[in-house]
Amino acid sequence: MSKPQIHLNRRRFLKAAAQAGAVLALPQVIPGTALGKSGSVAPSERIVLGGIGIGSRGGYDLGCFLHEPDVQFVAVCDVKANRRKAVKEMADTKYGNQDCATYLDMRELLARSDIDAVLIATGPNWHATASILAAKAGKDVYCEKPCTKNIAQSLLLAETFRRTGRVFQAGTQRRSLPNFAYAIELARTGKLGKLHTLYAHPMGLKTISSGWLPPEPEPPKEEVDWDMYLGPAAWRPFNRRLLDGFNFEKGGGMVGAFGGGGCLEWGSHCVDLCQWANNADDTAPVEYEPTGNQLHARYANGVKLILRNDGWLPLGSCPVRFEGETGWVETGDDAEIVASSPALLARRGAKIPGYPADFHIRNFLDCVKTRAQTRANADVACHAHIACHAANISLFLGRKVNYDPKKNEFPGDEEANRLRSEALREPWRL
Amino acid sequence: MMLKSRSLAWCAVLLVAATIAAGQTNAADNQNPKEREAKLIAVLQSDAPPAEKAITCKRLSVYGTSEAVPALAPLLLDKELSSWARIALEVIPGPAADEALRSAMGKAQGRLLVGVINSIAVRHDAQAVNGLVEKLKDKDSDPEVASAAAVALGRIGGQQAAQTLERSLAEVPATIRPAVAEGCILCAERSLAQGKAADAVKLYDTIRRANLPKQKLLEATRGAILARGSDGIPLLVEQLESADKAQVGIGLRTARELPGRDVTEALATELNRLSLDRRPLLLLALADRSDEAVLPVVVMAARGGPKEVRLVALEVLMRLGNVSCVPVLLAAAAENDAQVSQAAMLTLAHLPGAGVDTDLLARLPQATGKTRQVLLQLTGERQMEGALGTIMSSLNEGDAGVRSAAVQALGALGGDKQAVDLVNLLQKTQNPNDRANVEKALAAISGRAGASCVPCLLPLMQNSDPALRTIGLRVLVIAGGPDALAAVKSAFQDKDEAVQDEAARRLSAWPTNWPGDTAAAQALLALAKSDKKMLHQVLGLRGYLEYVRGDKQLNNSAKVTKVNELLPLIQRPEEKRLAISVVGALRTAGALELLTTLASDPAVTEDACSAIVNMSGRGMQGATRDQRQKALQMVVEKSKNDATKKRAEDLLQGVR
Repeated sequence: MSKPQIHLNRRRFLKAAAQAGAVLALPQVIPGTALGKSGSVAPSERIVLGGIGIGSRGGYDLGCFLHEPDVQFVAVCDVKANRRKAVKEMADTKYGNQDCATYLDMRELLARSDIDAVLIATGPNWHATASILAAKAGKDVYCEKPCTKNIAQSLLLAETFRRTGRVFQAGTQRRSLPNFAYAIELARTGKLGKLHTLYAHPMGLKTISSGWLPPEPEPPKEEVDWDMYLGPAAWRPFNRRLLDGFNFEKGGGMVGAFGGGGCLEWGSHCVDLCQWANNADDTAPVEYEPTGNQLHARYANGVKLILRNDGWLPLGSCPVRFEGETGWVETGDDAEIVASSPALLARRGAKIPGYPADFHIRNFLDCVKTRAQTRANADVACHAHIACHAANISLFLGRKVNYDPKKNEFPGDEEANRLRSEALREPWRL
Repeated sequence: MMLKSRSLAWCAVLLVAATIAAGQTNAADNQNPKEREAKLIAVLQSDAPPAEKAITCKRLSVYGTSEAVPALAPLLLDKELSSWARIALEVIPGPAADEALRSAMGKAQGRLLVGVINSIAVRHDAQAVNGLVEKLKDKDSDPEVASAAAVALGRIGGQQAAQTLERSLAEVPATIRPAVAEGCILCAERSLAQGKAADAVKLYDTIRRANLPKQKLLEATRGAILARGSDGIPLLVEQLESADKAQVGIGLRTARELPGRDVTEALATELNRLSLDRRPLLLLALADRSDEAVLPVVVMAARGGPKEVRLVALEVLMRLGNVSCVPVLLAAAAENDAQVSQAAMLTLAHLPGAGVDTDLLARLPQATGKTRQVLLQLTGERQMEGALGTIMSSLNEGDAGVRSAAVQALGALGGDKQAVDLVNLLQKTQNPNDRANVEKALAAISGRAGASCVPCLLPLMQNSDPALRTIGLRVLVIAGGPDALAAVKSAFQDKDEAVQDEAARRLSAWPTNWPGDTAAAQALLALAKSDKKMLHQVLGLRGYLEYVRGDKQLNNSAKVTKVNELLPLIQRPEEKRLAISVVGALRTAGALELLTTLASDPAVTEDACSAIVNMSGRGMQGATRDQRQKALQMVVEKSKNDATKKRAEDLLQGVR
């Protein structure tokens, strides 16, 4: 994924959000007293942030966080020495001091009582485990996607954040971008007529990425802590090609050993958007079936969800399309929106291409202060991820599966049910 | 040696498995289940390398039965394969897997033991409770083992587990206590789910009294409130009123969860008692409760009272409100306070419910002043096409605000027919504000309708007033298409010089139709070659260069040729720099040559040198080593910029 380098100011965003519609216009309840006279933020009102696993994507996210005046970044944890050094330099340069602490073990960072929130941008293998550890340690969490490796992790993530009362935001930043929000508002408010089909584009539907590669000499722990890198993933010997946080086990538990799982990487974005469009943030499709190069799913309300790789308008990456009885709309990462009728686009807002995360991160920070629910909170993320995992299971088994979102099981389907979870490597637990 | 080869072969197999489609991978598993399982078991019992055994464990997690357990069990003590074996053992149904894990609890040590206990917890094996209690109570136990046992007891639940955990809370060392508390909370949750609220309350209260990290106390407090039901309201209110931010936070969380109308009512009362800075936070929490009794509370807060709370209430109505909220929202939208008015407008624009449009339309005929203005604005915002007649009749009203709102609404709703009406209106009015509003509306319609509305706009180009012809040019360009382009080209013959200049500016910025409209490129080139006025030449050059940059149908080589052909016409350094910027992005041998030529112009030497260095740094197609070397050498010799020179020297090293 390329790194968008767009930082938009809040004023521009709010204008675009207002134009985009209700879905992005959140109450502004941060008290004015939080701001000092010079516009700087009083220390007592700052959110003290730590970072866990800050590489390429995490570096971009961290840049967005550092852009916000009410954030004080104080510590980084990474299993790779070069990343610890680079992030420390980034933070110390920003603040003109040498205060950013470095850690190899996230549990030490999480034990710091002065840290309010953490940015988790490790490889996906760690996302759920690290998020749950952070919540149990009393931290609010912004976690990159995909946030979980399987259905069981998704449910435990939501359960833990409910129990701990911590704020969680999945890094599905398209939830905070006006073009997606606008298209979704059209779908949710009946402007397309009765909704019947949603299309998501989980690029590389069936690709996979990691396994057990030939052993190589393990580097010193200070340089790369392989054991900590593997974390909850089943053991395998060190191999530098696996040492890529972005790809390692990114498709969920099935990737490590079999295959499948490609739809999780992008599905956590585009399936999530379809869930929102269908007003289905608290559920998931009830049936899934591989069909050629597509996967067809169906919600209990009859709406179809089609995961496909091609057949799209050229609107950039991560396109989604919503079809109703009287109209359709399609949009993607270039922020263009195409609809069945020009009238549907009369109120569309400013174009903000490049899928920046600034607004999503701002939403997280506001919710840390108000304790309100974020746009991609743990319950929302849980169900969107379950839809992706169930799709993966259907793809892996190569057949239709039915899912009961209330009982969170595949009724009478033992093979599918067994794939709902995967043991974590010792000593990790959820 | 043989083993090594076999190991590498299996690694290759796994890699292949990792790159083929999942369905295909699964096809290999479509065989007789018993035979398939027997083969998998045989792998585990062979001297196959760990990689092979690992993937076999994973397959057994889907296809294994209790038959596979004896082959999996020994791997629980293997530090490389224990995690793989547990993947299977955690999900294989039946008592054999439970027995294997319980048995391993007596043999494994350290981290492997922790893993085994964690798997027992996942399987909720009630028969393991005695063994887990031992691990928890064993004073010599590794703290990680004792902690895992405590959490496992919590996951399994039951009276014995709950009593052990409750007692242990006061007895275990501080390092283990958070895990014991976690186990207690899990037990309490299970009790509550089973309808044993009193047991849950007792356990939660015990935790709240213990010496524990704050987060655990907060979790227990939430549980204690939820387990008490309506009786938990005082404890909930205590959190909301606390001086401790974390307690307020857990209170707000719980305020969203604790069900009951009496809870909603208590929170509504609390809304007026809390300090002002907390009221918006509680209002947001109230809004997340699935209780219809919340709406009247929010409407009340939206109607009046402290502004901080009002603004939040107005915005919350966007989500919760319905047609019954229209009066209070309309009143707020008509207020003079800009923030209140804006918040109410935004909510009205998105207020859900089919009856809302009907209600707003019914109010429009009688409405006057600010309210009429608000309603007209809303017809556009909400795409209420049924209001077009009323909007048209409002275009000539005396109230400037109402006129403006009507024009704005027409811009949002209108099509070609309304464009005609707006053009007529524009030709009748002299008021600069009205003209500006109508232009915005025409621009909005033109943007939506595109070339189809050009005929409606063309009358503006025949108007005797040059200001209207100028407006005409601006909206025609937004509509686009060949007729619009022809009108812009004709405007170069306009009798008014300002109109001619505007035509040049619009043509130069003909932005949206690339690469489809090459006719504009020809017009721009003609403008660049014209000798009538320097401003026009400059605008023509700039527009043409932007066309070259943006046209996706031109390949890089064609782009270089076009810029090359344009060079004799470019006199000023500003346009030369633009040319350098266009060429610099092409990264071809021809582009490099062109930049080298441009570098000999002293006015833009540094720009060209910098572009050469950037291009060389990113790599380029078709340039020979000699060409790159020459270009970089030239930069070293000509550039006066130390950084550029240094980069060129560094790159030269690489080329050599």
